[in-house]
Amino acid sequence: MNNDKRTAVPSSRKRRWHYSQGNALTFVSLCILAVIMLYPFLPMVSASLRSMQQYETGIGYSLKSWIFVLHNLPLPRELMNSTIVALGAIFLIIALSSMAGYAFGKLPFRTSHIFFVAIVASMMIPVLSMIIPEYVNISRIGLINQYPGAILVYAALGSPFATFLMTTYFRGIPDELLEAAVIDGLSYVKIFFRIMLPLGLPAIVTIIILQFITVWNDLLVGLLFLQNPAVRTVTVGIATLESVHVLNVPVLMAASLLSALPPIVVFLVFRRYLIAGLTMGMGK
Amino acid sequence: MGLSNYTSLFSDPIFWRILANNGILLLSIPIAIMIPLGAAFLLQRHVTGWKFFQSAFYLPTVISWVVIGMVAVQVFAGHGVLNRFLSLFGLHQNMLAHPVPALIVIIIAFIWSLFGSNMVIFIGGMATMAPELYEAARIDGANELKTFWHITVPLLRRFIQFNFILTLITAFTGLFSLIFVMTGGGPGFGTTTLEFFIYQQAFDSGAFGEAATLGVVLFVLMFAVTLFQVPLLLREDD
Repeated sequence: MNNDKRTAVPSSRKRRWHYSQGNALTFVSLCILAVIMLYPFLPMVSASLRSMQQYETGIGYSLKSWIFVLHNLPLPRELMNSTIVALGAIFLIIALSSMAGYAFGKLPFRTSHIFFVAIVASMMIPVLSMIIPEYVNISRIGLINQYPGAILVYAALGSPFATFLMTTYFRGIPDELLEAAVIDGLSYVKIFFRIMLPLGLPAIVTIIILQFITVWNDLLVGLLFLQNPAVRTVTVGIATLESVHVLNVPVLMAASLLSALPPIVVFLVFRRYLIAGLTMGMGK
Repeated sequence: MGLSNYTSLFSDPIFWRILANNGILLLSIPIAIMIPLGAAFLLQRHVTGWKFFQSAFYLPTVISWVVIGMVAVQVFAGHGVLNRFLSLFGLHQNMLAHPVPALIVIIIAFIWSLFGSNMVIFIGGMATMAPELYEAARIDGANELKTFWHITVPLLRRFIQFNFILTLITAFTGLFSLIFVMTGGGPGFGTTTLEFFIYQQAFDSGAFGEAATLGVVLFVLMFAVTLFQVPLLLREDD
């Protein structure tokens, strides 16, 4: 017994030392990774805080580039356009996907599984494979360079995943709850508005955040469907600020940072929902 | 009309040149998965500040490809940060001016910005694993590396598979904006992927027919991937 104790103590101490040494190593590795992930933003921020002359000489800082972006570039207007398009698309997506998710999850009919698989499978269709017919269609109904045209396209692109997410979420709500509501005399429509929507709020918030970031950051749809500078979204505005390589770099960096700010703020505020949403689609 | 669109496409050397670029993207996917997997493993040890690290790693994911492209150009192009460093050794070079380095730069930007979302999926996967497994491994005297290879990786197989497909889909159908901002597909066809070629054909050359044909080819490629993807997504439903 005594012998056992004597050998056990040093080995556990050794193990603990090993463990903390491992933690230190982990911490250092994570620090190195963090530098790699965040470092590229440093030249960006520092360049945006210089005028062109200061950027070239590398001496001094000023807010000239930021002021130029806000006063001489159409960025405020473009930020507005992005907001309008994103909100419109989000509204359509939520309306569609919550109702579809309710139907697929709680009111399945005979062939609903086929429709569900078709919708999930449509997520895998490359955007560029369908954007050409989509472009032809939207231009035929005269919605090129109009908010509703782009909103429709974004809603169509975002709805499949949202429907998938809402279906999985609603499926997890116990059937007894609905049965009790039916016995109490609630119609299926009332059940949707009074029970399913409030209970589905976490999933809805996740969809809102994911879609906001997706629509805000999209280039292709905006580039094709909102070509007119008056309706152009901010991501398209940044991408088309003449050739990236020759333009006034500090101005370009300030504009890029400004355009990235809303998604970053949304991410920092709703981080938990966003990360939950990414794993929610996976189930457990 | 008919199949002539396809026969002329498949005999076009440019088409194969572009498909080769897609092939190189495919080769980069294991790297795009291994690094986040390692990071997720480190994060779930919950050392001091792990929440900060998690957010920091995820940050590039919420930023648009357009801005990421801008950042990458600042780092890698002519007057970029990397070149200022390299010119200390007399190695100054504009990496975006040559086909192979340009494609590598695009792949680096791609891996960098996808790092966060791949990592989060792995963290989600690790959260489903019983902590007793690690405890048992530690008692058995397995070191961290062994635990990683013999416990974490096999148990996360489904998540690795899922991430592989997701990364592949992004690489083949989601890189348009990055290429648009960084190289515009050039130099030559050095960084033109199938996806970007569709856009060029349709909206630069006005060849909508050829573009639609290419769109079908890309769709068929992705459909093959989908055949693996759907059962994976629906597995738990039945």
